[in-house]
Amino acid sequence: MAAEAEMVAIPQAAARRRPAGHAGDAVFHGLTVFFALLVLTILGGVIASLVWGALPALRKFGFGFIANGAWNPVTENFGALAPIYGTLVTSLIAMLIGIPVAFGVALFITELCPKWLKRPLGTMIELLAAIPSIIYGIWGLFVLAPFIQEYVEPALIGTIGKVPGVGALFAGPPLGIGVLTAGFILAIMVLPFIASVMRDVFETVPPMLKESAYGIGATTTEVMWRVVLPFTRIGVVGGILLGLGRALGETMAVTFVIGNSHHVHASILQPGTTISAALANEFTEAVGDLYQSSLIALGLILFVITFIVLAAAKLMLLRLQKGAGA
Amino acid sequence: MSVSLATSSLPPAAGPASDPGASASQLPVKCQIRNVGFHYGKFHALKNVSLPLHDRRVTAFIGPSGCGKSTLLRILNRIYELYPGQLATGEVLVDGENILAPGLDLNLVRAKIGMVFQKPTPFPMSIHDNIAFGIKLYERLPKSEMDDRVESALRRAALWDEVKDKLKQSGLGLSGGQQQRLCIARAIAVEPEILLLDEPASALDPISTQRIEELIAELKSDYCIAIVTHNMQQAARSSDYTAFMYLGELIEFDETERIFTRPQQKRTEDYITGRFG
Amino acid sequence: MQLYDRRRLTNRVVVGLSLAATAFGLLFLVFVLATLLKNGVGALSITLFSQATPPPGSQGGLINAIFGSVAMTAIATLVGTPTGILAGTFLAEYAHGSRLGEFVRFINDILLSAPSIIVGLFVYTILVVPMGHFSAWAGSVALAIIMIPVIVRTTEDMLTLVPNTLREAAAALGAPKWKIVVTVIYRSAVQGMLTGVLLAVARISGETAPLLFTALNNQFWSTDLNRPMANLPVVIFQFAMSPYVDWQTLAWAGALLITAAILVLNVGARLFASWSGLEK
Repeated sequence: MAAEAEMVAIPQAAARRRPAGHAGDAVFHGLTVFFALLVLTILGGVIASLVWGALPALRKFGFGFIANGAWNPVTENFGALAPIYGTLVTSLIAMLIGIPVAFGVALFITELCPKWLKRPLGTMIELLAAIPSIIYGIWGLFVLAPFIQEYVEPALIGTIGKVPGVGALFAGPPLGIGVLTAGFILAIMVLPFIASVMRDVFETVPPMLKESAYGIGATTTEVMWRVVLPFTRIGVVGGILLGLGRALGETMAVTFVIGNSHHVHASILQPGTTISAALANEFTEAVGDLYQSSLIALGLILFVITFIVLAAAKLMLLRLQKGAGA
Repeated sequence: MSVSLATSSLPPAAGPASDPGASASQLPVKCQIRNVGFHYGKFHALKNVSLPLHDRRVTAFIGPSGCGKSTLLRILNRIYELYPGQLATGEVLVDGENILAPGLDLNLVRAKIGMVFQKPTPFPMSIHDNIAFGIKLYERLPKSEMDDRVESALRRAALWDEVKDKLKQSGLGLSGGQQQRLCIARAIAVEPEILLLDEPASALDPISTQRIEELIAELKSDYCIAIVTHNMQQAARSSDYTAFMYLGELIEFDETERIFTRPQQKRTEDYITGRFG
Repeated sequence: MQLYDRRRLTNRVVVGLSLAATAFGLLFLVFVLATLLKNGVGALSITLFSQATPPPGSQGGLINAIFGSVAMTAIATLVGTPTGILAGTFLAEYAHGSRLGEFVRFINDILLSAPSIIVGLFVYTILVVPMGHFSAWAGSVALAIIMIPVIVRTTEDMLTLVPNTLREAAAALGAPKWKIVVTVIYRSAVQGMLTGVLLAVARISGETAPLLFTALNNQFWSTDLNRPMANLPVVIFQFAMSPYVDWQTLAWAGALLITAAILVLNVGARLFASWSGLEK
C-alpha cells in the first residue's frame, strides 16, 4: 500500500542523514557568551584595579583629598584639587566654545549646504575626529600656543582683563600655554563629535515637519530653534554629554599645552593641570607608594566623573531611540 | 497508518457539508494538521485549525491579510521557533509522527520539510555553493557527486540552462525570478518530502510568476506542496485543494474546483467574489 | 514691518555664524594638516626608516618606533578582532531583548568612550606590576582593550542589518545556528565588519596614553616583546616636549607618519565600504 511504502522510506532517509551539529551550537554559543562576559570583566577589572591602587592614598587622606590644593612629592602631601579644577575648567571652556560651533556646523550641513557638498563636508568633519590627540598636542605646542601668546592673550588682557571682577579671569603675563589654550584645543577636538551626533539627530526630523514650518514663512533660524531643536533635544543633550566625556578624559593634547602646574589660579591664562595630564607626566616617575597611589586615586576620580557623564549620555540616547523624537 | 487516517473521519475541516469526500480518501495524506493553535505573545493568531495535506498534490491557502495562512505554514516546519514568545499548540502529523512534539531533532524535521519564502533569499555565495549548502548539512559527498546533485536540483527547478555556465558566480547576480528558482532548487536539493511555499511569486513580475507556476505543476508529482497565496486566480489555476482562512480560523477546505464554483460558506463566497479582502 | 525685519536680520546673522563655524572647523583641519606637512616633510628621508632614535644632539631615525607601533598594533588587532567580533555576535544573535545583552551593550559603550589613560593604568596594574617590567605585550593588551568596544559595536550593527529572511532560509534547510551565523550571516556582513576593524585600527594607531605606562619607550632597536618597546606616539611625546631641535624635527616626522597612516586607513575604509556596497 502507498502508506506502507511511505513508512519504509523514512528510516532509509534518516539513516543516510547525519544530525547537523548540536555540539557545534553549544560551543559557538558558549564562545560568544564568554567574550561578551570578557567585556564586562574588563570594565570590572578597571574599576577594581583603580580602587585597589587608590586605597592607600584614600586611606591616608580621606575625602579631604579632593579639597586639598597641595601637591608635594617631597612631603608626600597630595591633593586632587588642582587637577580636578583644571579638568573641569578646561572641559567647560571646551564646551562653551565647542557647542555653539558644532551647532553651527550641524545647522550648515543639514539645512544650508548644497547637496554636492554634504558628503565631503561630512567626511572632513570625521577626519577632524580621526586625528589623534597627540597630533593636536604637538600642533598646539608649536603653533597655537605661540599664536595665542602673541595675539590673543595680550588682547584679552588689554580688554576684558581691565574690567573689574571678570578681569581676574584674564589676568597675568601672556604665557601661551595654560588653561585657556588647553580648553581651546579641547574645543577643536570635541567639535567634530558633537557636530556628528547633532547632524545625525537633526536628520531624523521628518522632512514634513520642517516643510510645514517653512511653508508658513519661518526662517531657517526659526525652524531650527522652534522645530528641530525641540524635536531632537534629548539626542542633542546626549551628544553634548558624549563630547563632554571625551573632553574630560583627553590626555595628550592637554598635556602639551597646559603647563603642568599643580596650582589653582583664577585666571585662565595661567598654567594648570588636569587629572590626565598629571598622570601622563608623573606616573612613570612617581617614586614612593603614596605618590603612585595618589595618582591612581586621581585616575579613579576621573573615571567616576566620566562614567557618570557617559552613563547619562547613554541613557538619554536610549530614550531617544525608544520614544523617537521627544 | 496513513490509510487509517485517510479513511477515518477526518476532523470536520469546516462546515457541515464539506467532506472532502470519497475521491480524496484514496490519496495518501502526507501531513495531518490537527487542532492547531498559535499565539504571538498574548495574541491568539490561529484557532483550532485541522485539515489534511495530500501527497503529490498542491494545497493552496487563501484568505485576506492577517488571516493566519502564513502563520500556519510557518508552523509546519517550526520556523517560528527562531523567535521567542511564539507558541504552537495541537498536532501536526507527518507520516503519522507528530512533528510538534518536544525532543525531536529540529534540523532533521526541517530537512524533510522544505520552505521557499516570499522574497528570494540567495545566500551570499556562488550559485553552486547555494545549492550545496543544504546538501552538505547532511551528506558528505565527493566533488563529482555533489556537482551532479547540484545539477539535478537546478534542472528540476528549471534553472540549469540559464546558469550552467556561471555556477561560480554569486547567486546575488541573478534576476528576481531566477533567484527565486534558485531558492526552490536549494530547497529541493536536500530531498524533502513536503514543500512549503509562502507567496513564492508575489515579489516577481508576471512572466517569472508564470514560470514559477509551471514549475510547481511539475514538482507536484514528487512532493506534497502547500502554497500560501494572495492571488486567487493563482490558487484556482495551480492547486488541487484550497483552504480558505479568515481571522485565524479555517472557514472552508475542499477540492479547489468546488471551492471556487460551489463554496459552502457565505464568507468563502464573499471573499472569492471580491466582496472583501 | 519691524518684526519682519528683525526676524530677517536674526536669520542672516545666524546663517552667517553657522557658515563661519563650518569655515572655522575646516580651517583648523587644513591648518593642522598643513603644519604637519610643512614641518614633517623636511624630516622625511631614508634615515628615518633605517636608523633608530638617536640621543639628543645627533642624527637618527624612527625605525625602532615604527616597528614597535606596527608590531603592537598587529598583536592588538589579532587579539582584539576575534574578541570583538564574537562579543558583537553575542549581542546581535543571542541576546535579543535580554537583560544581559542590554547590560553588555551599556558597559561596552562606557568602555568605548572611557579615557584611554585609565586603560593604561589598568594594564599597568594587571600586567606590568606582576611582570616586574614594562613590555610590548602590555602595550598590545592595552591597545586591544581600546579596540574591542569599537569592533563589538560595529559588528553588532552590521550583523543586525542582515535581514531575518536570510536566517530563516538557512534554518529552513535544517542548518544549526552556529553554521547559519558563520557561513551565511558573517559572509553577508563581512564588508561592514571589515570596515569596522579598519576604523578600529586607525583609532589605536594614534593612541599615546595607554602606552605610557605599559610599553613605555625604548631608545634602541629591539624586537623583544618582553621588554619596553619604542613606539611612535610616545617618541613624539618625549621628543616634542624636549628642547632639542633634532628631536623636535623627528617628532614632526613621526606625527606626519601617524597622521598619514590614519588618514589612509580612514579614507580607505570608507572607499572600501562604498565600493563593496555599490558592487551589490
